[in-house]
Amino acid sequence: MHELGIANSILQAVETEMRPHPGARAVRIAVTVGALSGIDRDSLEFCFGALTKGTPFESLALDVKEAASDELELTCLEVEETTP
Amino acid sequence: MSTTTTKVPLERKVLSENDRLAAELRAEFARHGVRCLNLIGSPGSGKTALLERTLGAFDPAMRVAVLTGDIQTDADARRLARYGFPARQITTAGACHLDARMVTKALEGWDLARLDLLFIENVGNLVCPTSYDLGEAAKVVLLSVPEGEEKPLKYPGIFFKSKLMVLTKIDLLPYVPFRPEDAIANARAIQPGIEIVQVSSTTGEGLEKWMEWVRRPGPPRT
Repeated sequence: MHELGIANSILQAVETEMRPHPGARAVRIAVTVGALSGIDRDSLEFCFGALTKGTPFESLALDVKEAASDELELTCLEVEETTP
Repeated sequence: MSTTTTKVPLERKVLSENDRLAAELRAEFARHGVRCLNLIGSPGSGKTALLERTLGAFDPAMRVAVLTGDIQTDADARRLARYGFPARQITTAGACHLDARMVTKALEGWDLARLDLLFIENVGNLVCPTSYDLGEAAKVVLLSVPEGEEKPLKYPGIFFKSKLMVLTKIDLLPYVPFRPEDAIANARAIQPGIEIVQVSSTTGEGLEKWMEWVRRPGPPRT
């Protein structure tokens, strides 16, 4: 029900993580969503897509891993850096 | 020109900012020995009615206060303020849950040293409040008889995280097809250790057990 808020929290975390990497691109953010977390995967993916559309994060992939627990965790951020 | 991909391990909760604020609240509650209970239930499950009964049963010297969350209106705070204890409304203006930041803000100006017990009545919702730690000693889930016995199976998250399930509106049992033993079995299927009390805020039945649970000691002062 509050997947939009959760998607926003994920995006904020990515923004914070990207600060030390100016010029780099966030490629993939991996999250674990537990079945008891109250978060619906499809809805989270939909909200994430809606939030990132038309922003510098449009190409950022949300990689959801499901779990049986109540976890709702950021596990890994993939960053691409291009050096001339 | 070369492209390198780096994997940054994060290993932290999505709601880590909320959890950080909740940890601060929990530490503050512990410092002052305040027992904080976070009441969660569907809209109309009887959260405010139970709190009215509870406040009404306390001695006026009881050091208790209430924060009550709703999307709009201060109707609940007004209902609860009649009992003479501090009561404050948190209006979330659309948000479906309370978060730790809202609670921190709502507590501004209150001296926790003058409290032993704090109730937080969450926004009526069985889903979203589950995710947000408010620094409470316990989450308490309310399930009212007309809602049906399957709620724990349909909304397992909150039943998994609550220490106590309060079965409310038991005065309606003669009129609706609801089997308390099934509701209890369903809750225990999700969380075998959940404690259960059955109450009617209308007749007062079962309230002693609830009050006994509420009066359990707060966190040892730190």
